[in-house]
Amino acid sequence: MKKTILSLAVAGILVLSSAFSTLENKLVSKSGHVNFFSHTAVEDISADNYKLVSTLETETGEIVFSVPMQSFEFEKALMQKHFNSKKFLDTKTFPKSKFTGNITNLNEIDFSADGTYTANVSGELTIHGVTKAIAESATITVEGAKVIVDVELSITLADYNIAFKKGKPSTNIAKTIDAKVKAEFK
Amino acid sequence: MKKKVIKWGFILLISGLAIGGSVVLYMFNQPHRDVQASTADYEMEAKQLVNEYLADAQISNDKYLDEEGESKIIVVTGTISEISTDLNSQKVILLKNEGEDAGVSCTLLPITNSEKIAVGDIVTIKGVIRSGAGYDEDLGLFEDVIMEKCDLIH
Repeated sequence: MKKTILSLAVAGILVLSSAFSTLENKLVSKSGHVNFFSHTAVEDISADNYKLVSTLETETGEIVFSVPMQSFEFEKALMQKHFNSKKFLDTKTFPKSKFTGNITNLNEIDFSADGTYTANVSGELTIHGVTKAIAESATITVEGAKVIVDVELSITLADYNIAFKKGKPSTNIAKTIDAKVKAEFK
Repeated sequence: MKKKVIKWGFILLISGLAIGGSVVLYMFNQPHRDVQASTADYEMEAKQLVNEYLADAQISNDKYLDEEGESKIIVVTGTISEISTDLNSQKVILLKNEGEDAGVSCTLLPITNSEKIAVGDIVTIKGVIRSGAGYDEDLGLFEDVIMEKCDLIH
């Protein structure tokens, strides 16, 4: 009888500690920055978003970014309206963009040692309701308890059914835009 | 007579071009909507807004989000559970009660005096909604309602 209680207690402690350790391995960030930049001969367009939510599971390498699309701010109000509209990203129908992926060279990154690491990340990016497989390299900086993830990616708009055949947008917006994503985990 | 017609035609053409040009220029350079100077569309408890989204995100998006991004301006009241600073040095206040799954995250304008507020205070904030709350399976957590261009009403 005593033995059963003892083993139950041990099992209980094991379950609890594993539950806590999985919680500990998952870093959550509500402090991030997404910038995108479009360059054409006619004009440069840039927008910023500071409402990124992301998670990083240091044990498995799983990484997720969630971006509220209406939080992108442009210098010109008219551009912001166009960006949100049905013709472009249709942010009322698709309020969030998302990346879910994995770090494929996790063994090369030591989250317990300060330093800068290059991570290979592959996964799926969903924008405008369209999901595509992507693979990019990210820079992971470990500074004590803080982990910073920086990713630069180029996004071909036509891949996500954002296409302009004629008119001003077809000349003023680049076919491929550069996006920079930064997430700070503490 | 003919000269006069040409002269008036010319004046009309020039003034037409000037008016047309300035309309285009105005449209192109139109200012951003001033959220704080605009009338609020809704006034409610932070909890109510979150619960509407948790109950049905689709209906809530239809109700609160705008096609061109000029979404509803809402005045929300709630308890501060967290005060932080984002990567753009803006203060962010999370309105959320203990034990609740999600809250309302409000990014304050630089003009807001946030020095006198503290965690636990009940405040009323006006701002524009950017996205709703909900459980995200990939993140494995609840996302908050996001509001920006916020200012403290009291």
